[in-house]
Amino acid sequence: MDTFCTVYCYAVSRSSPDICSLTRIYYDAGCDDLSFSASNGVVLATEKKQKSILYDEQSVHKVEPITKHIGMVYSGMGPDYRVLVRRARKLAQQYFLVYQEPIPTGQLVQRVASVMQEYTQSGGVRPFGVSLLIAGWDEDQPYLFQSDPSGAYFAWKATAMGKNYVNGKTFLEKRYNNDLELEDAIHTAILTLKESFEGQMTEENIEVGICNEAGFKRLTPAEVKDYLAAIA
Amino acid sequence: MNEHKGHKYIFQIVSGSILSWNAVLEGEANKVGYSLPAARKTGTTICGVVFKDGVILGADTRATEGMIVADKNCSKIHYISPNIYCCGAGTAADTEMTTQIISSNLELHALSTGRVPRVATANRMLKQMLFRYQGYIGAALVLGGVDCNGPHLYSIYPHGSTDKLPYVTMGSGSLAAMAVFEDRYKPDMEEEDAKRLVRDAIAAGIFNDLGSGSNIDLCVITKGKLDYIRPHDEANKKGVRTGDYKYKRGTTSVLTKSVTALNLEVVEETVLTMDTS
Repeated sequence: MDTFCTVYCYAVSRSSPDICSLTRIYYDAGCDDLSFSASNGVVLATEKKQKSILYDEQSVHKVEPITKHIGMVYSGMGPDYRVLVRRARKLAQQYFLVYQEPIPTGQLVQRVASVMQEYTQSGGVRPFGVSLLIAGWDEDQPYLFQSDPSGAYFAWKATAMGKNYVNGKTFLEKRYNNDLELEDAIHTAILTLKESFEGQMTEENIEVGICNEAGFKRLTPAEVKDYLAAIA
Repeated sequence: MNEHKGHKYIFQIVSGSILSWNAVLEGEANKVGYSLPAARKTGTTICGVVFKDGVILGADTRATEGMIVADKNCSKIHYISPNIYCCGAGTAADTEMTTQIISSNLELHALSTGRVPRVATANRMLKQMLFRYQGYIGAALVLGGVDCNGPHLYSIYPHGSTDKLPYVTMGSGSLAAMAVFEDRYKPDMEEEDAKRLVRDAIAAGIFNDLGSGSNIDLCVITKGKLDYIRPHDEANKKGVRTGDYKYKRGTTSVLTKSVTALNLEVVEETVLTMDTS
């Protein structure tokens, strides 16, 4: 999915700052990822295609914890994502210091989306080239939000992002129902990923994160392998 | 534990020898034109000990506002991270906020590194913050936890110095507690022995120091588990009153009884209605 935003480009010289032109920034389509909200938890799943077998896959992660009970994944530019992960973590801590309560997922999403919006309206910066999927658990309820480069955010029951998001969403529409348990959700999420996956899907080139009442957790490759074995 | 800023309390020990030593020193100092600094009571007993499998932190539960007990059951063992806890003596607000700030920063650090936080890191963060404030943050801390390098225990002073030791005490009851430690501490104790030692050290502070009192809280941190025992020992349970000042009917026997009816005429009657609109 190509994401684009319009942005004012500033050419600043000492004497006169010039608002030169309306520019369209195109961001390259990111990898597929999708997420699924079940009755007792949320699943985040993404493919992690590395360009070469020489990459050390375990050194960089796409699924990242923000707090004990919130995690997120992205589609788009990795470096931009890193910055947002740091920002989100800091925002969560600041909230905790003031209110002595873990930040509700919706509050975090609002703040992160605010940051993303800022970068569409400030000078000298460009919008973040990522779409985020934020999953969390508070007050005995699972939550799933998407945050776009424009700063718009949406709550979802299940969604897909990336190259084949159309197919992914159609697949999810067929398979989603409100009473799905977390285990089935993980199974469905992996199946959906497999639909648009080129090549062999192994525990090294996908990442799965789950969020339930015990908190957020990124599954280890061994755990992912067990789920993959079930669908083989 | 809550100190009014600017109030100072003179340390008065009733044991003769120390008083006389102090008096001599004071006299000598006055001769040259100096006065001894007034000691500041921190109204707490906190301590920590390293045992075979981890560390045990102990604290009393009295919070004082001068000579008055402000809180009979306050919590002095603060959370830093799942494997690190910190006891705080001194100004209550300072210990509370300092530990919270460092806890927050440590969580960010742990998420960034992807590793379980180390006690040495928490120690660094705390001492660097306290030094920055040149002692104006009145927080005297006992920091303990277990990380990948084993169990660690630090004592941190308000000006920012730290000591890494197998057993430490802080607060106004620290002398009483340290006396117990110096007598009975042994390296590599078992958990139950260590718990008993910490309990006795805090009890010494509670019963012999006016600034400490009420219950004993313990926190046992080992590699696999964490036990936050609050209270471990209710050493000062409020008693039940045995007597009663009320007299039962019939205690005083009635000899005679005469009733005089007051016949009053109604002279004037006025009714004022309340405006309930």
